[in-house]
Order: sequence, then structure tokens, then C-alpha cells
Amino acid sequence: MIECIDVSKRFGDTAVLAGVTARIEAGEIFAVIGPSGAGKSTLLRLIDLLDAPTGGAIRVNGTDIHREPKRGLLIRRMMGMVFQKPAVFNTTVYENIAVGLRFRGVGEAAIQKKVEDVLGMVGLAGYGERRARTLSGGEMQRVALARAMVIDPDVLLMDEPTANLDPVSVALIEDLVLRINRDLGTTIVFSTHDMYQGQRLAHRIGVLMKGVFAQVGTPREVFTLPASRDVARFVGVENIIEGVVVAGENGASVVDAGGIPVRARSPFEVGEAVSLCIRSEDIRIAPADGGAAAPGRNTLSGTVAAVVPRGPFSRVTVDCGFMLSSVLSWKAADSLGIGEGSRVVVSFAPESVHVVRQG
Amino acid sequence: MYEIIEGFIEAARLIVTFDPDVMAIAARSIIVSFTATIIATLIAVPFGAVINFGTFPGRKSLINLIQTLYSLPTVIVGLLIFLLISRVGPFGFLRLLFTPTAMIIAQTVLILPIMTGLTISALSGVDPVIRDTLYSLGATRLQFLVNIMKEARFAILTAVAVGFGRAISEVGAAILVGGNIMASSFASSTRTLTTAISLETSMGNIPTSIALGIILLAIALGVNLAITRMQHR
Amino acid sequence: MQRRTLFAVAAVMVAFLLICGCTGTTSDPVSTGTEKQQLRIATTTSLDDTKLLNHLSTIFEKQYNAEVLVVSAGTGKALEYGQRGDVDVLMVHDRAREDTFIADGYGINRRVFAYNYFILVGPESDPAGIKGMEPTKAFAALREKGMAGEPGVTFVSRGDASGTHSKEQAIWKKAGLNYSTDVQGSGDWYLEAGKGMGATLAMANEKQAYTLSDIGTYLAYKGDLDLVTLVDEGDILLNVYCAMQINPEKYPDINSTIAKDWVNFMISDDVQKEIASFGVDKYGQPLFYAAQNDWAKIGVTEAEVTDPIK
Repeated sequence: MIECIDVSKRFGDTAVLAGVTARIEAGEIFAVIGPSGAGKSTLLRLIDLLDAPTGGAIRVNGTDIHREPKRGLLIRRMMGMVFQKPAVFNTTVYENIAVGLRFRGVGEAAIQKKVEDVLGMVGLAGYGERRARTLSGGEMQRVALARAMVIDPDVLLMDEPTANLDPVSVALIEDLVLRINRDLGTTIVFSTHDMYQGQRLAHRIGVLMKGVFAQVGTPREVFTLPASRDVARFVGVENIIEGVVVAGENGASVVDAGGIPVRARSPFEVGEAVSLCIRSEDIRIAPADGGAAAPGRNTLSGTVAAVVPRGPFSRVTVDCGFMLSSVLSWKAADSLGIGEGSRVVVSFAPESVHVVRQG
Repeated sequence: MYEIIEGFIEAARLIVTFDPDVMAIAARSIIVSFTATIIATLIAVPFGAVINFGTFPGRKSLINLIQTLYSLPTVIVGLLIFLLISRVGPFGFLRLLFTPTAMIIAQTVLILPIMTGLTISALSGVDPVIRDTLYSLGATRLQFLVNIMKEARFAILTAVAVGFGRAISEVGAAILVGGNIMASSFASSTRTLTTAISLETSMGNIPTSIALGIILLAIALGVNLAITRMQHR
Repeated sequence: MQRRTLFAVAAVMVAFLLICGCTGTTSDPVSTGTEKQQLRIATTTSLDDTKLLNHLSTIFEKQYNAEVLVVSAGTGKALEYGQRGDVDVLMVHDRAREDTFIADGYGINRRVFAYNYFILVGPESDPAGIKGMEPTKAFAALREKGMAGEPGVTFVSRGDASGTHSKEQAIWKKAGLNYSTDVQGSGDWYLEAGKGMGATLAMANEKQAYTLSDIGTYLAYKGDLDLVTLVDEGDILLNVYCAMQINPEKYPDINSTIAKDWVNFMISDDVQKEIASFGVDKYGQPLFYAAQNDWAKIGVTEAEVTDPIK
């Protein structure tokens, strides 16, 4: 459906996109996630023909959209876009939504029906005659979504659509995105800096970092098998430890992490510098006298360096040569009697260690 | 002091009784300046749009020039138009000097820069997201311009009101190219509120001056009121 | 709702104003069907300020189904308008410059229709003590006292290259003074107004200063002035008004027929009577004298006063 082939974009001396390559399939929800300034908005604007790339090509159904100036309008009219800042025209809600249809010369009777339908879809039935500027931010963003959807686009582009909204409005918009995709089959590409939103909504995620896709995959792939140290850090892997592979065969390796051997599953050769990514949820903490270690697990003893509350949990950081963090419920933390300075044993399975090449 | 009070009483009488001469002068002022404002609007708004949305070399300098011309002295415009339309000037064959048309031309030229400049500000003041939204909704170039102007309509109306205010209150150009003629027919006369006030005061005809001044002030205040109301929307 | 009412009221007011304005001055019938001829006259301010021109043009408009457009300016500016071809007829009062204008081929068919006298007016207290003096002596005395800084001695000049300004310069010259070096800019006592006769009189009155005026304008404004006549005798004070056509050979599309009609109208017997009697009822004396029978007295040929243009 949409193919980005080595797309680059410079603004003056600043390279915002430096060779983005990805393929978005028809009917899927594709999330572009990444830190602020990674080029997410620029990529969406290029797809919507609001900007021209400096290099590379974007193909929609096989057509290089930036090399078809005559068909530019037709191509753009296949797509709808919702922007980060909820922006409405200074007129009624009805007229706001009707704009795209008027551009296409749709008759008034058809406009009326379509606007009413789409207002119902976004949960704003009866809002037609209100002045759009008097709505709340969340309502305005739903008007913007209705305005983009009323033209039945093949592709819906959304640039951080919920970044400025309250949690209730965010949930409403997210629900709408899922329903639009499910009921209408619309291909949706949206950007977000909220990795969990990407996980909640997307079939696939592209992690945009420093102007390129550092990884493209399903949410599960991206969250459990980040392709690099940076991706791991962005998707919330708390424990990233540097080391060197010292032994290994058949995918089972031993990594020397600052003098401490860690067993992990990895395909890397001996001598390779790697980063070990361990999710805090996979780390277990037991009292120092907690009996025999489970066989096959990495078991390290250390001292609790910090206990920090995090929502209904506590984040416990243990110094066992390198720092490792785990998450415990308050109850579990209490029953273990953990405090700063407590001696504990930390364990994790080799399968929980995701090894990526350094750099 | 006595002169001023007496002047105001006589002025009130002239206004309340709809003195034909005073009303004719007021009506002519409105017609001339209103026409000039309409013509200037028809030129300034598209011109402002081209400058605001266009990309061409010298665009910045052009905007600077336009802003400099905001304070174009009215007598300079008057002199320029006089030289152009005087019988020996390049447009002398049109025989426009000393006609209301000449005043309309002069006032149009006078208010074009400020109206163009304010149109540019009005259009550039539209949220960039609105611009992107229009394009993303599949607007053609023309649909885009029409809708941006709709969005900037109050700011553009302000530009129009400012232009009218400047036109109706100027005296320098009107007297140079109009000649302050009081003919027997309405259409041939070129005496407006400002030129009449200038003449009547210099000849010591104070009550008429005050009456005309009150009317001019009322019009100017009305325009200002309209501007303020628009800006609060 | 309140806003709508406001706008409605404003709209009604504007409409009413326009209707009043349009009907107020077009009371004379325009239903003659034929297009009215327009006559453009550039005039010296004194003829306009005294309302003489207004009085005569009303008569003319009825007789000739024409419309008279009067641009009032000093003689200098009027001559400039004439030279540029912006008007059809000139009505001025400066023989010397008229002669040059005609010699240069811009003006033709000059006819003299009226005359009166210039007068030197000033405050009743007469701080310069010039009352009853011969004109050149009075001017010389004014300058002397003015230069000496005598309190209250100020002279307001038209300063606008008008016929009156021209006459003033001639008097300075005859008094043995170089206008541009000895008078103009010689001190705070000498002010240039740069305005018409009526406005200059009003200014001199405000400053309680001396000024040179034609008697017609002075009489027309006398009611509003505290200035009195101090010097009114002497041949040099003669003030002769003429009307002339702009040469159609210079500007072919000029309205020469109606221009000719106007000049002939000015020297016609009826108008000469009108001029002689104009203002008598109001000021107790005429503002202008008819030129018809006094051509010898004012030093012009009989033909210039009586012969209609053919």
C-alpha cells in the first residue's frame, strides 16, 4: 500500500529524515514511535504530500506520489490527516466537517447525510450547529477526525493525535481508531511518542530514531526483542548492561559483564561486544538466605541500593557488581523486608536476557 | 469661548435640520471614500494573498516596502496623482482632474499599502495547522485561498475598516486633485468633509466647520467601533 | 441582537444621509435630456470668497444649461492650472503675468470685466502710524518699524504668488525695496500665509497685523474682522479683473465654445450691471466696479472691455 524507500528530508543543514525505508500494508494500523524530534511528523507530512522529500521515494499503490505532480491532488484526496494540535475552522461543527466534501463537489443532500453519520460515529451527534471554537480540545480533535473521515479516505494519517489531550479524550480517540480500522478497513498510520499507545493500537510499529527506522515489527517483537540498545532504552527496558561474549555454542552464550559471568541466549561469536537487555519484570528478588538457587538461572547476590515507589509497585535497584532493577508489589516488598542496604539474591533466566550488538 | 458655544449650537442646528449642503458634503465623503475602499479591497486582498503565499525573489523587501508606505503622506499621493492626471500628464486625456473620480483614485492609491500590508498580516496570522488541514482535505489552490480568507475574514475586514478610516479622514490628496469644488450638481462637486472643514475654518465659518467635524468624527468613531467589535470575535 | 439593531440603525442613517445629500443639491431639473456642458474655471480667490462668482455662475448655468466648476486658487496657481490645460477659463487679476501668459500662447481673448482697489488694512490702534499715507510711503514705514521691532507691527502677506501678492511685491519695489532681499524673510514682522484672501484676512485679524487686501474680499469679511482700512488711495492700488480663454490650439479638447460664452457673458450689459450692484444691499457699497464704461480710467483698451469674442 505505502512504501517508503530510502526517504530523506533536510531542512537547511539539518537532516530530519536520513533514509527511511518501510512498507505499510493495506488495512493495517502502523504506528511510528520515537522520541521528540525523531522526524515522525515530517514522515507523515511527506506521505500526505504536504512536503517534498529531499531524496528517496514514497509509493502509494505503486505510484511514486512525489513524481506525479498532475495526480498530486487525486493522491492527496485518497488520504485524510489529523494533526497534533486540535485545529478547527472558525465556523460551525457542521461546516468544519463538510469542507472536504465541498472541495470534492459533493451535493448538499449527500453532505448532510454524511456529516450526520460521521458525527454519530465520533460521538458528537447533535453538535452540528455549535461553533467549533467553543468546543473542548478533545471534542475539537474528534471534529478533526470526523472531518478527515467523512471523505472515506483509503489512508488515515494521524500525527500525535492525542498528545495534547486529557486521558478520557485519549481513550475516546484510541477507541475510534480501532473501530475505524475494524469497521471500515481504513489503513491507519499514526505517530506517537507514547510507546504504550503504539502497543495498544498498532498491528506493527516502526521505531524512528535519528531519522531512520531503528526497528520495524509487531509490538511484541519491538518490546521483547528490541533491535538495538537505543530501541531497548526507548521501549522501556530498564536494565541494559554492557559486556563481552566469552563463551558460547548452540545459541547459549556466557557474557562477561564487568567481571560477572551472565548466561544468555545469543547468536553472537566469542569476543563480540554486546548489550544485555533485561526487563525488570523478569528479575526476581529473594532474601539472601532464601535457600538454594534455581538451577539454570543466573543468580547474583547484592545489596539493595534504592527502593522507589512507582504507582502501585516499588522499583528496587540492587547493586550486584552492576545495577539491576526489578519491580515488586508493595506487599511483596514488605514481606521480603527489603530496605536500602538489605542483602538480597537476584535471579533471572538466560531466556530473559535479550542480547544485542553494541553501538 | 462664546464663539465655540455658538458654533456648537449652530452646528447642532445644521445637523438636526439635515442642512442640504452639509448632508451633501457628508454623503459625498462617504461615497468617495467607500468607493475607494472597495476598489482598494479588490486590489489589496488578492495582492496580499499572492505576496503572503507566493515564493519569489524580493518578497521580504516587497513586504518591507509596503510597510514603509503605510505612512505615505497624503499630499505626496495627491501631488503624484495630480501630475499623472493633469491635462499635460500621461493620463491627462482622461480629463479626470478636479472630479470625484480623481479623489477616488488618489484615496485608493493612498490606502492600498496599508490594506495590502494588513491583509498579509491577516493571512499570515492564520494558524499553520489550518493551512495544512485545508491541503490535507484535498483543497485546490483556489479552494485553499478562498477558505484561508474565510478563516481570516475578521482580520481582513479590519484591514478594510482601517483603509476606509484613512481615506475618509485625509485632506491633502482630496484638495489637490479634487479642487474643493462646490458645483450645482452633486456629482460634479468635489467638496468633502475634510476639504470643507479646511476651507470653512480658514474663512472663519466656524459653525459649519464644527458641524462637519462632528459628522466626520461620528463616522470615524463608528468605523473604530466596528473594528473593535470585529477584533473581539 | 443588540448588535443587529445597532447596525440597522447605522444603515438607515447612512441611507438617509445619502438620500438627503443627493436630493439636496440636485433640485434644479436635470431632465433636459441633453448632457450639460461643463465649464471649468480657475479663479483668483477674491472672486470666489466674495461669492460674486457663485452669484454669476448661477445665472449663467440657467441661461446656457451648463454646469460651472470653480477651482479657487491664487492667480499664480490659477495660471499654472491654465498652463497645464486643466481648466477652460481663467479669472485673474495680474496684468503683467497675464501678458506673459498670453504671449506664451496659453491664453487668448482676454476681457476685462471688473475692477476695484486694493487697500492696506490693519489694527485700529495703527502702531506703525501709517493711516492716510501714500501707499509706497506706508509700506516703507511698515518695514522700518517692523525691522526696528516696534511692538504690534506685523505684516501678513498672501505669500502664494497670487495677484494680490504680485501687487504687494510691486508696491515694495516702487518703494525702492528689493522684495526678496529687503522684505521677504527680513524679520519676524513679515509673515507669509500661503492662503487665499479670506483666510489671510482671518489670519491678520487673529494676529492684529497689517495686510494688503482687495476691497471686495475685505468688505465681504468685514463683519467678522476688527481690522480697519488705513490706506486706500493711490494709482498703484488699482485692481483689474479679467477673464480669458485657454488657447484651444494648445489643448484641442478644451471646452472652448462654452468658455467663449462665459467670457462674453462677463462683459454683457446685464452682467456688468450685476457686478456693479453686487453686495450693495449687504455692504452699503459695491465690492466691484463694472469695467464697461471705465476702460480709460483703468488703462485698458475699449475693445478689451466691450467687444465680444467672435
